[in-house]
Amino acid sequence: MKKLLTLVLALAMMLCAFSFAQADDITLDVIIAQYGPNTQDWFLGTGMNGTSFKAKFEEVNPGIKLNLEVVSWNDLYTVVSTRISNNNAPDILNIDTFSDYANEGLLLPVSDYCPETLFADFFPSFIQESVIDGTVWAVPDLASARALYYNTDLLREAGVEAVPETWAELEDAAQAIVDYYSGEVYPWGIDMTTDEGQAAFAYYTWANNGGFVDENGEWALNSDANVEAIEYALSLVKNGFTNPNPATQTRYDLQDMFGAGKLAMVIAPNSVPAYIAGKGFDNVNFATASIPHNEGASSSSVGVMDRIMAFRDDSADQAARNEAIGKFLTFFYDPENYVGWVSMEGFLPAVNSAVGALVASDPSFEAWLSVLDSAKFYPTTKAEWNDVKQGVIAVEQSALTGGDVRTLLNDLQAKVTGK
Amino acid sequence: MNNVFTRHKWEPYIWILPSVLLMLIFVVFPIGIVFRLAFSEISRAGVVGQFIGFQNFIDAVSAPVFPTVMLNTLIWVVSVVGLSTLIGFIAAMVLNQEFHGRKIARSIMVFPWAASLVIQASVWNYIIKMEYGNLNNILLNLGFIKSAVNWRSAYQIEFIWECAVGIIVTIPFVTFTVLSGLQSIDVSYYEAATVDGASFRQKLFNVTLPLVKPSLTVSTVLNIIYVFNSFPIIYTITKGAPANKTDTMVTYLYMLAFYDQRKGPATALSVIGFLILCIASGIYMMAAMRKEESL
Repeated sequence: MKKLLTLVLALAMMLCAFSFAQADDITLDVIIAQYGPNTQDWFLGTGMNGTSFKAKFEEVNPGIKLNLEVVSWNDLYTVVSTRISNNNAPDILNIDTFSDYANEGLLLPVSDYCPETLFADFFPSFIQESVIDGTVWAVPDLASARALYYNTDLLREAGVEAVPETWAELEDAAQAIVDYYSGEVYPWGIDMTTDEGQAAFAYYTWANNGGFVDENGEWALNSDANVEAIEYALSLVKNGFTNPNPATQTRYDLQDMFGAGKLAMVIAPNSVPAYIAGKGFDNVNFATASIPHNEGASSSSVGVMDRIMAFRDDSADQAARNEAIGKFLTFFYDPENYVGWVSMEGFLPAVNSAVGALVASDPSFEAWLSVLDSAKFYPTTKAEWNDVKQGVIAVEQSALTGGDVRTLLNDLQAKVTGK
Repeated sequence: MNNVFTRHKWEPYIWILPSVLLMLIFVVFPIGIVFRLAFSEISRAGVVGQFIGFQNFIDAVSAPVFPTVMLNTLIWVVSVVGLSTLIGFIAAMVLNQEFHGRKIARSIMVFPWAASLVIQASVWNYIIKMEYGNLNNILLNLGFIKSAVNWRSAYQIEFIWECAVGIIVTIPFVTFTVLSGLQSIDVSYYEAATVDGASFRQKLFNVTLPLVKPSLTVSTVLNIIYVFNSFPIIYTITKGAPANKTDTMVTYLYMLAFYDQRKGPATALSVIGFLILCIASGIYMMAAMRKEESL
């Protein structure tokens, strides 16, 4: 009996000690997307000059504790939606899309927590991509831009004098590569997988003055320009100009083939040099160019942006919590921390204050920043975006197995708009 | 006396209490939650809303790809369970014979079972890669083919390959369950059958099969459940692409829930899958037991 009493007392004391220690602290639940092999180490290990983001933040901001988790993109959506279903949404989330969360009233407006000086530092065109009904719901954490990568040696040997700028030139170049290498080298890479098939849709439709939406911002998935663009992409596959299995070969497979010298041209993000170097491919000489477009249309780069957002939590100390979230953002975007973060995985910045230091460390950033300036982004602010994203991938894959592009796009347009 | 009696009465329940609690917390309770979710509106972000009756079920079943997915699931379960049971049974018969190196053969048989399913699926996926897969390399080096063959030229072929991988990874389980059944058969039955002049066929159908039936029943029922719910092979090799044409119910409902963000219909599908499994296993077990009784 005595033993039991001692045990109960000891437990009670431990609980008291625990709650005292926690009394004045705010703990922020943070979920960060895993961009590459260094993300975990930077946030939680020793990747930030021998320390971690978490440790440094808690040192600078006493009274705020971070419960920070780095989650791979594969699991991110599962983790977040499961937590929301269990009424356990994170305080701060780093992910790509935000419109579902905003439309369901789960997010805090950025103006509630973001300090004004920091807010003014974001590229305005990026902030515009996170506005629904006049309210900013998320801030960009980084971006990447896409361009055409080509293997200079392969093209030269096959007798391709100039990098293809139009679709017709692309077909000629591809034919020359097929003739010269007789199937040993794939001229062109296409990824129509569930991993990122929506990017392929953007690459071809935007290069044909089409796209996801019309000039009024309404869904225009089945436009003539889109039908022509997707049929063109499929013709590349059917003529044997591409990697053989676009429905299952992801962008990473393509980047591997490109690094290994098996693929001559591919549209890929600005992080490709870092990726190729990290994989140990060192025999490949490559350069970048604009994404090829149809005759009479203009080329545009494809920008991809991820975001940081804060979830509503109807607890009492909302003001203190908002302030803590603001401190988190201020610390994250401090050039001293942020520049290391962005350059580590080879991404492009979202704030002006980081540009100078990034260009100084790598002059190629400047060219990419100008590409990014003219880049188009996915219409992620529209509520139906996720259906559209999955829908265009299904259209591409169905068309690969023989479906009619126009019928498929008509069906998708009808499903998305309900007409 | 009374004390001993009370103890004996309660003791078994205390012993099984931890397992019952575990089952309640980790099996029964989650199943209950899934049933509740299946009849609730679930928003895209994951917020659970009000009760909406069978709407999720109607949405799930009326999807255009639903028939394809169900047909795939049927082909997948029947071919994998059927062929792995047949081949596993034959392998068990062979391994039950006395021969040199029998122990080594048995360990080789169990190796695939010891490796994680995701790893095995990745390896088999790698083997058929056109660019640097082992299959093309071996055939090229042996001179059977002149240039690399695209083994994944059509989704039908990809699905057959997935079924083949499913069969290969399931064989060890069947083999060892049947082998344990075979080893418990008394040799005297065979001696008696031999004395009576029974042929191999007669021994197989009149001695071996009836006596090994309990193990076969167990392995088949468990197999139906495992294979129906098997996720890693298809998810690793095709992720159901192109356009759900190689999806089975489990991979489809995963994609529906976590790619398409349509958790309501996905939960409804998992309830349908659960019921299908309960019914299929129930029918099989009842049929098997009835035959056993009539023996």
